[in-house]
Amino acid sequence: MEKLSILADSAKYDVACTSSGVDRGGAPGALGSCHAPGICHTFTADGRCVSLLKVLMTNICAYDCRYCTNRRSEDRPRAAFTPEELAELTIQFYRRNYIEGLFLSSAVLVSPDYTMERMIRVLELLRGPYRFRGYIHAKTIPGADPALVHRMGLLADRLSVNIELPSEASLKLLAPDKQKTGILRPMGLIARTAAENRRELTVYRHAPAFAPAGQSTQMIVGASPESDYQILQLTEGLYQKYSLKRVFFSAYVPVCRDERLPALDTKPPLLREHRLYQADWLLRYYQFSAGEILSPEAPNFDPWLDPKCNWALHHLDQFPVDVERCDYEMLLRVPGIGPKSARRIRTARRHGRLRLEDLRRIGVVLRRARYFIVCSGYAGPGRLSRITVAQALLDPGVFEGGARQLSLFDDPAGRLSAPDHPALPMAAAREEAAAWLSRRM
Amino acid sequence: MAVQADVVYRYDGSFEGFLSCVFESFLRKEIPFAIYPDRAAWPTLFPIRRVPTDPARAARVFDSFEKKLGTRTRDLVTRAFLNDSPDKELTLLRFLHFAYGQGPRAPWMQGHERVAPVLALEKAVNGEAHLLTGFVRFEQRGGALGAVIQPRHFVLPLLRQHFCNRYPGEDFVIWDKTHRAVLAVQAGRAEYLELATDPDLPPPDEEEARFQAMWRAFYDALAIPARYNPNLRRSHCPKRYWACMTELRDRL
Repeated sequence: MEKLSILADSAKYDVACTSSGVDRGGAPGALGSCHAPGICHTFTADGRCVSLLKVLMTNICAYDCRYCTNRRSEDRPRAAFTPEELAELTIQFYRRNYIEGLFLSSAVLVSPDYTMERMIRVLELLRGPYRFRGYIHAKTIPGADPALVHRMGLLADRLSVNIELPSEASLKLLAPDKQKTGILRPMGLIARTAAENRRELTVYRHAPAFAPAGQSTQMIVGASPESDYQILQLTEGLYQKYSLKRVFFSAYVPVCRDERLPALDTKPPLLREHRLYQADWLLRYYQFSAGEILSPEAPNFDPWLDPKCNWALHHLDQFPVDVERCDYEMLLRVPGIGPKSARRIRTARRHGRLRLEDLRRIGVVLRRARYFIVCSGYAGPGRLSRITVAQALLDPGVFEGGARQLSLFDDPAGRLSAPDHPALPMAAAREEAAAWLSRRM
Repeated sequence: MAVQADVVYRYDGSFEGFLSCVFESFLRKEIPFAIYPDRAAWPTLFPIRRVPTDPARAARVFDSFEKKLGTRTRDLVTRAFLNDSPDKELTLLRFLHFAYGQGPRAPWMQGHERVAPVLALEKAVNGEAHLLTGFVRFEQRGGALGAVIQPRHFVLPLLRQHFCNRYPGEDFVIWDKTHRAVLAVQAGRAEYLELATDPDLPPPDEEEARFQAMWRAFYDALAIPARYNPNLRRSHCPKRYWACMTELRDRL
């Protein structure tokens, strides 16, 4: 039990805990199923979803990455699971509906290949004797033999290789044992094998599936000096080149003292992480490209506005749009309309006129959208100054109770100060934000 | 065209009973002031008409759903009926009066004032069922797995699908405390029972207690103190579910 605490504690900074991407029904005599949208089983005190039994095989590590709690030179309790123990634990948790499956990762014990062998042994036990059909997400170890990665992919639903840091220079500085090629090569291998596998599956229905839920990766934000633009470019590249399913960002939480890292009392850049996820959604679901969201001239996110509102504000000439006529891509770009309401509008407008009340019932956030649309019985907002619209679009999340949690960019230039003042009442904070926005425009 | 009538329908609370009310409403070309199930006996100023449950009438109504309104409407009404809000019957009835005029396209007019509330009823049911597929906690008691839930809506039928599929080899029981209903699955056969009193369960044995303790330890180890955000947790996992969740029960 102590072992479980130690190894879960060591794995907690891994972000990805999703069980999405595969639909697999149960089978007689077997245990488990998968549900494509994923299922969250509980939420931790920091509000993150727990879907999988996220543990390390071991936290005894041969590497010495600067940002990592498990680095060789850190003095902390160490433990290791045997494959049998871990398989049994997974099954018992699964039966009680605590989890959707297993998220297996590991520190590098002895060598990458040895570690991979042990992880594969767990997966073989689960898929073999236990006939486990639940979700398995396995993390490949950088530098492991491609043949092992292949074997792992045939057992797991999702594979991931952590890219760790957003540039090679940072990687060299903070994770001297890992190389960019050591990370990207397995990623490419997984992408190619998965593509081949999909072709095979169209021909032979029973061909063994290779990582059917695709692959994902994560990187740490805030431990190194890259701009948001660089990170987003990299993200887009990963989606396109390696057909990744997800890229996760993790706000850097200082756990080790090191002169190359931000100080121990730095707050994690949660708002920045939040903005990155918003932009990530724009890439994946809203048909935006990275170049539209940020540019080399404006390389960082606006703390007051979410990236979609920011885009709309800078392209006021493309609005208002007629929701009864415009195409789906344009609907997605209207602040206050998301993919769900855009799809609903698309079906509903075939069957009748849409007035503002109808849009509200469909789920459009009129508080934001009304500046950008025309519809039946509504001729649009008329001429507006950019600053009026900007004030209406201010991200309410920044001002609410939770706002203090979102410690803004820890930028020494003091790009921003307001939300960090606990004493500042909300109205005053809003005013200051508006003033700041108008100065900038 | 149906007219507004100053009458309250009462029925037995079953889906068949509701379909009989629908029949009654169309037969008399009227929309009642309210439709109440027997268990919610609100005092009312309007005259009450007790609508008897008539399987033949109910079947006629149900068959006409698919024939005249399409499968989407049929599924929508069936699913939305699982919702437990007090005015669901009237919302559904108003929608049906609208839908028989429109035909199969009715459920797709998603912004319409008669349609949107029904979609909202359905969404609430689906949403709770989805949350509970994750939040149900089974305990090993004797030879079978048992779980207690306190949902707002009657989601047991939806949970049955999910868990029968997931645990083909297991016997399990889910007890819905709110609706006093039990879903019992034994050797692959599912059965619904109604309970008058709380069932008494044998206490968890040592092994069960050990796994519960391990799960709690795992849960506690996962949180990152620097990101502590209880509001976010509550919005994803509302407190009304906590009483039945092993790891959160003690934090209420």
